[in-house]
Amino acid sequence: MKNREMEQRLRHEAKTWLEEGKVDYVIGFEPGSLKFTTTPLITKDKDDIDRLVINPFMVNNLSVYLTEIKGRVGIVAKGCDSRSIISLIQDNQVVREDIIIMGIPCPGLIDLSKVELWLGRDRDELDDITRDGDRVVIMVDGKERNFSATEVLFDNCLSCEFPTPQEYDVLLGETSSLVADKIASRDKIKKLEGMTSEQRWEFWKGEFNRCLRCYACRSVCPSCFCKQCFVDESQPQWLLPVPRWQDNLMFQIIRNIHVAGRCTDCGECERICPVNIPLRSLTKKMYELVGDLFHYQAGMDKSAPPVLTAYEYTDAEDFIR
Amino acid sequence: MTNSKKINKKDIGGLLKEWSQEFTVFIPWRESGVAMLDKWDGTDTGFIDWYRNTVKPAKANFFPPMEEMFRFQKGREGYHIELPLDEHKQLIFGIRPCDARSLAILDMTFTESYQDPYYLPKRNNAVLIGLGCLKPYDSCFCTSLGISPAESTDVDLMLTDIGDQFLVKEITQKGKELIARASQVEEATEADEARAKEVRKAAYGKVTRRIDTKAISEKLLSCFDNQDYWEKVAAKCISCGICTFLCPTCYCFDINDELVKRQGARFRSWDSCAFPIYTKMPMENPRVEKWRRVRQRVCHKFEFYPMNFGTIACTGCGRCIRLCPVNWDITQTLDKLPG
Repeated sequence: MKNREMEQRLRHEAKTWLEEGKVDYVIGFEPGSLKFTTTPLITKDKDDIDRLVINPFMVNNLSVYLTEIKGRVGIVAKGCDSRSIISLIQDNQVVREDIIIMGIPCPGLIDLSKVELWLGRDRDELDDITRDGDRVVIMVDGKERNFSATEVLFDNCLSCEFPTPQEYDVLLGETSSLVADKIASRDKIKKLEGMTSEQRWEFWKGEFNRCLRCYACRSVCPSCFCKQCFVDESQPQWLLPVPRWQDNLMFQIIRNIHVAGRCTDCGECERICPVNIPLRSLTKKMYELVGDLFHYQAGMDKSAPPVLTAYEYTDAEDFIR
Repeated sequence: MTNSKKINKKDIGGLLKEWSQEFTVFIPWRESGVAMLDKWDGTDTGFIDWYRNTVKPAKANFFPPMEEMFRFQKGREGYHIELPLDEHKQLIFGIRPCDARSLAILDMTFTESYQDPYYLPKRNNAVLIGLGCLKPYDSCFCTSLGISPAESTDVDLMLTDIGDQFLVKEITQKGKELIARASQVEEATEADEARAKEVRKAAYGKVTRRIDTKAISEKLLSCFDNQDYWEKVAAKCISCGICTFLCPTCYCFDINDELVKRQGARFRSWDSCAFPIYTKMPMENPRVEKWRRVRQRVCHKFEFYPMNFGTIACTGCGRCIRLCPVNWDITQTLDKLPG
């Protein structure tokens, strides 16, 4: 199904939900205020519904709003977002019956920062971006530039195993044709694995030196649902809210451990970091470790207990020394 | 004979080298893909051709993300306190007009409310060399706030790109003195000035995003209690600190002490009204709800600051729009204010 057809179907369904009182709110995407962006649309007004869109720039993981909004919600979810929703259900943060999931088989999203790097141009200097299967065509300075989708999709999209939502009430379109490149998706992680621990320490020291502690990584993360984050506690004060690289790194390590087993590799933390800290190199590595050690993938089974709250005799324990 | 000077772009390196005898020179630079004002390495002049603005605003050079207010040691007779001596002289090359204006706005807070002993020495010791924006972002709306992307009087010297050269306008006495000592500088011709004028005009025309400041000041007061409106516009905000931390005029800070083995330091660091704990007090928190925090940010910039200091605390740099994880756009919120 084409994006346009999916949009029509989505609008029709969302309007019906609101009219029939099945949901109090609809959460989806509308065109953003800047070129090649979308922005979350959260509304209870059916007149807003015609603004809903489906396009290659719907980057946000909207499940982050579910723990905040009171009432029944109709929500648009890509593959990774649907897994975040399942994970929230597993953690008793969301009640399945309170939400209607509009599943979108996701073909992978275009990483504008990659496009900017390839072209040496900023997002707002590009004239047009179109996705056609495994090709992405970009118009810039009046010229057409052709890319393989694997060159410009987000790293996490390139390693996506479940582009089709795992949980949905309505599925828009058939299964997606995602273009994967598992090796490219791990480039940054592989580089880190090849370093000595001293080199890695130096690397992260440099990266976390830039961290401003704006906590946007925490704010966009659906797995960061704590009512009070440990870093905001003052009695005891686990960490100073002062952006020194040591404190910044410690914050991120603890955040990573907290979301391990919940993180679905949606990639939002890395995408939104205003100072380009490659946060996914930590979260994805943790995702892989959870898979290796506990044979578990986050957000696949809503009736399963969250992995780190359950114990199995077969669990790995050779890392405990 | 004109009022301006000019300098060849290829001579900028030499000039900065001379100035770096006296000043720590900062230039707009990209480190790991993030544009910020960085210490110049003394050789690379690639930054001259970079025409966008930094992610981290210039305020960070005067009001850094964190700074030590003092160190202390606990002894038998009580605390011994050591104050930092920060008198380093910085020269910022390539500050954009919006960011230069932001410093003028911050000066009001840090001098009129009280004399900030950390901000002011840095500010008074600094030299600002402005460089006109040739290509504003699609998120920029500086012209609505009385700023021209390629003109500024909030700097000591103002440069305009006129091809192989920069036209140099001396704005302050400090700027004049710097130029007087620079052998690389020559008198500009009338043709140079005409060219610079064209460049400024073209840059001005490239800012297409607009807000109506007059209508805003009229409407903001009357819609302050319109909870429906604020709830609606705040719905998608995720309460992170990006818009405030990277805002060139936001100045809120937090103060924390660290004491380890009888010695420690007091730090101040950026804080944000977007954080729910920002207003947390022993008994209650007046801004638990997100819409109150969003309203606070908008009203502080467009209502309270004008009441206190007679100017809007926004320069239209567009960072809060461009860098927002959910594309929360302040110009849309201001545009749709109910009357």
